[in-house]
Amino acid sequence: MRSAAFNAISDKVRAGERLTAGDALALFEEPDLLALGALANEVREQKHGDRAYFNRNARLEVTNVCYASCNFCSFAKLEEGMPGAVTLTVPRAIEALRSKVDEHTTEVHVVNGLHPGLPFEYYEELLRALASAFPHAHRKCFTAVEIHFFAQHYRMSVRQVLERLIAAGLQSLPGGGAEIFHPEVRTRIAHDKATGDEWIAVHRESHALGLMTNATMLYGHIETFAHRVDHLLRLRELQDESLKLGKGRLQAFIPLAFHPDGNGMQKLPGTTGVDDLRTLAVSRLVLDNVEHLKAYWVSSTPKVAQIGLSFGADDVDGTIVSETIYSAANKKAPEGLTVDDLVRLIREAGRIPIERDTLYNVVAEHPRAALEGQFKVRERLQGRHLQVVS
Amino acid sequence: MIRIAGVGFLNAAPLMHGLESDPDVELFLGPPAEVARRLAEGECDVALVPVAAAANIGEIDLLDLGIVARGPVRSVVVAAERPIEELERVLLDASSRTSVILTRLLLRRPGIAAPPHEVIASIEGNVGGLIIGDPALEVEGRFPHVFDLGEAWNQRTGLPFVFAAWAARRGALTEAIVARLRRAAVEGLAAREETATAYARARKHDPERYVSYLRDTISYSIDDAAERGLARFLSDAAAAGLLPPPDVRVVRDRSVPRRPSIDSLLTRAADGGRLSMTEALRVYREAPLFELGLAADAIRKRKNQPSVVTYIVDRNVNYTNVCTTSCKFCAFYRPVGHEGGYVLSREVLGQKLQEVVDAGGVQILLQGGLNPALRIEWYEDLFRWIKATYGLGLHALSPEEILHIAQLEKLDVATVLTRLHTAGLDSVPGGGAEILVDRVRRAIAKAKCTSDEWLGVMRTAHRLGLRSSCTMMYGTVDTDVDRVVHLLKLRDLQDETRGFTAFFCWDFQYERGTRIAPGDHGTVLYLRTQALARLVLDNVDHVGASWVTQGPAVGQVALRFGADDWGSVMFEENVVSSAGTTFRMNAAGIEDLVHRAGFQAVRRNVRYDHLGTPA
Repeated sequence: MRSAAFNAISDKVRAGERLTAGDALALFEEPDLLALGALANEVREQKHGDRAYFNRNARLEVTNVCYASCNFCSFAKLEEGMPGAVTLTVPRAIEALRSKVDEHTTEVHVVNGLHPGLPFEYYEELLRALASAFPHAHRKCFTAVEIHFFAQHYRMSVRQVLERLIAAGLQSLPGGGAEIFHPEVRTRIAHDKATGDEWIAVHRESHALGLMTNATMLYGHIETFAHRVDHLLRLRELQDESLKLGKGRLQAFIPLAFHPDGNGMQKLPGTTGVDDLRTLAVSRLVLDNVEHLKAYWVSSTPKVAQIGLSFGADDVDGTIVSETIYSAANKKAPEGLTVDDLVRLIREAGRIPIERDTLYNVVAEHPRAALEGQFKVRERLQGRHLQVVS
Repeated sequence: MIRIAGVGFLNAAPLMHGLESDPDVELFLGPPAEVARRLAEGECDVALVPVAAAANIGEIDLLDLGIVARGPVRSVVVAAERPIEELERVLLDASSRTSVILTRLLLRRPGIAAPPHEVIASIEGNVGGLIIGDPALEVEGRFPHVFDLGEAWNQRTGLPFVFAAWAARRGALTEAIVARLRRAAVEGLAAREETATAYARARKHDPERYVSYLRDTISYSIDDAAERGLARFLSDAAAAGLLPPPDVRVVRDRSVPRRPSIDSLLTRAADGGRLSMTEALRVYREAPLFELGLAADAIRKRKNQPSVVTYIVDRNVNYTNVCTTSCKFCAFYRPVGHEGGYVLSREVLGQKLQEVVDAGGVQILLQGGLNPALRIEWYEDLFRWIKATYGLGLHALSPEEILHIAQLEKLDVATVLTRLHTAGLDSVPGGGAEILVDRVRRAIAKAKCTSDEWLGVMRTAHRLGLRSSCTMMYGTVDTDVDRVVHLLKLRDLQDETRGFTAFFCWDFQYERGTRIAPGDHGTVLYLRTQALARLVLDNVDHVGASWVTQGPAVGQVALRFGADDWGSVMFEENVVSSAGTTFRMNAAGIEDLVHRAGFQAVRRNVRYDHLGTPA
């Protein structure tokens, strides 16, 4: 049952017109999931054809000590010294990464709790140590929330913080900490960290300094569709400005499904597969100026991420050797995937796997096997373990 | 080497003269359904198939040689003790689909499928019987009323009727094949009297009846008039929903028929029309995911209440894990004598069943390994006890287990099923179908029953009034062609019996302990496969989402790809969870997930009657 409103929106999308907040809301409420998906897929295929991206990245959290008390977080411990609280020294952090990084790793992804007791130099030292230990791996470190925290805590401007970190080796910013920008939600789930405006200001400043960044949205908790729309439009506006400036920009948008295990909102039910796909599709249609959309497999599970590659997404993130923040809230997620797993995941979804680096330069192509389904299966079986043991 | 499949009926003999002794020909003779199967599954190059089977396969070229009646045919008749218009029921010999469909078109009277040997025996009073092939000639003169279908067709349409023809996949009728078959026909037609006489002598019958049958009754050339008759039959059958729209040509005609577009195939399927095997395969391979999903969704909405998703509160109880088949995809079984083998005691069973009753459950799904220590009396006692003590529905014993009991007890399947039915069996789960193509079955489960055996148990069960589900486990060594063939076999049987309630599919779940490699299946293929099944199985009411294997989130999405049922509340499920897939859910969990996916959750029983929404 496609509504007239949906048909009008389809026409706009096909004509390359920008969608309004009202359109975006109508898409979130569109009952025909498949029509919505098909439209998002059109846009996705126009931008990326059958390509789907992934990278080889390693994750590191140097500290889970955090003064903030976000309700959705199952990871951060409040204070140093509490059971389970861990803060790594720089040498220990590098050591921890050694087992996760090999010569093919193209990205180190570092995000942390907001630790009130470390000196700023600790972070500079960490970046320099990363650059010297793993010169081949791009350093994507610190969410906007951390950057904002550094500025406040160490009494610097955001720009000063960024300049010092860039000088120490920072190369881009991850998209975390965005949650939901709208104050009606943010004050209830994340009242004591950067506001939406502050988060955006950090990215604006980063873009001005030539950094590439990502952006996320944590959905499926207490927010309404209107809050999601507001979130998307704020990002679109930021990107408009940054594109005009022509230096850094948002590379990818990553919707994150809320998972309720072990956090302050564990009575909430979590998202549905339908909502996960719908959110990807609407994001693809609304964020017309953001190149990439991730079906982040850690968030949506690899099974839903596969379908997501037909609902607007063109990226599944990476191998993510040892993710712990999300995994703390979703006990069922695997900790990491191998390159083979990711190539297979993408191929099974009918797409062509492209291994990229952080800046979306192509590292390797993994061309599609001869044909869909059957042939692929047989090829694998013959290539690997189908020696059906008898 | 030309691989030829033909039928063993007398009327086909003139078309196959000399093929048997030709060293360049590999000839297989079998019943029409088996011959059609070989053609569909690519096991022969050319086959003498009933025309309905050719239409069902689709993209078929027919040679202009076949079995044609230009008036009475004598070998396809409805025989009865009373005049045809007084009959209330006609028992259908289901061994030829073409004749069954012709009967349905000409009589438009309720028909019931029955095995050939029972048809003749059951003709009595206002029950007639469709008799096909040589038995029809043998009973000539035995019944006071005989309705000759060839004659009736001719009277209605003024056209000949083509029963069967040499058929090959499109483009596969090479000059060598055509030349060989024409030579066989020329020689065979010349030898008709000889053939008929030899046939009659062997049976101590009067030769003249058979000579005149081959010489005067049956005609072997598909000329223009016969081709028009063929076209009329195929389009009438398609209009009645009994066959897909014809995509069959007689090769005399060199023009290439236009292939319907994928869009038109999806539209036809969404509107309730039938897809041929070739069309289904094209849709499976080529249709965009969303278009496929939308077509499946349209069918789901037409066949079922659009806002409702059903589920059943039952419990899967595996009464024994001792099994003799050692399937390579199974991590659950233990061989006979293994220390980890078990048979559940009444005490343990009783506790499990009480929990089902306490949870408001309506049935148990009872399945187990093929344990030679358990005799039929054990099952009968168990069923009676369960019925008497707990009053639960018994959805029990997959075809494999029923065949195992039949073999163990040296009883036929009908007897086993009748005894178990009497003891309390309500319905038969559709497990163990895997892929109903024997090449695949041999590779993954050598000791398991053949496709025909599996289907045979279901046919028998349906005839006894038992209902069953049907399933497909893909993703081992099967191809997409195998999956489509599987679906068509289910559809064919369903045409015959209407006994299948619902279809479920899932991909092979690899885990340590299984001995088949993981394949590249993924959830997109799952959605495509489920949606395709919804399109192909136009005669099955329900399709279930396999959330146990795909996960609840994908299960929710699957409800938009043709599924209208969420399966069972899972107290336990040992076989799939031995292979590592451990999604479980209670009734409240199911209702919540279904509700948040945008549907109303309604409890059902095994026959898919709604039981109302619990408060």
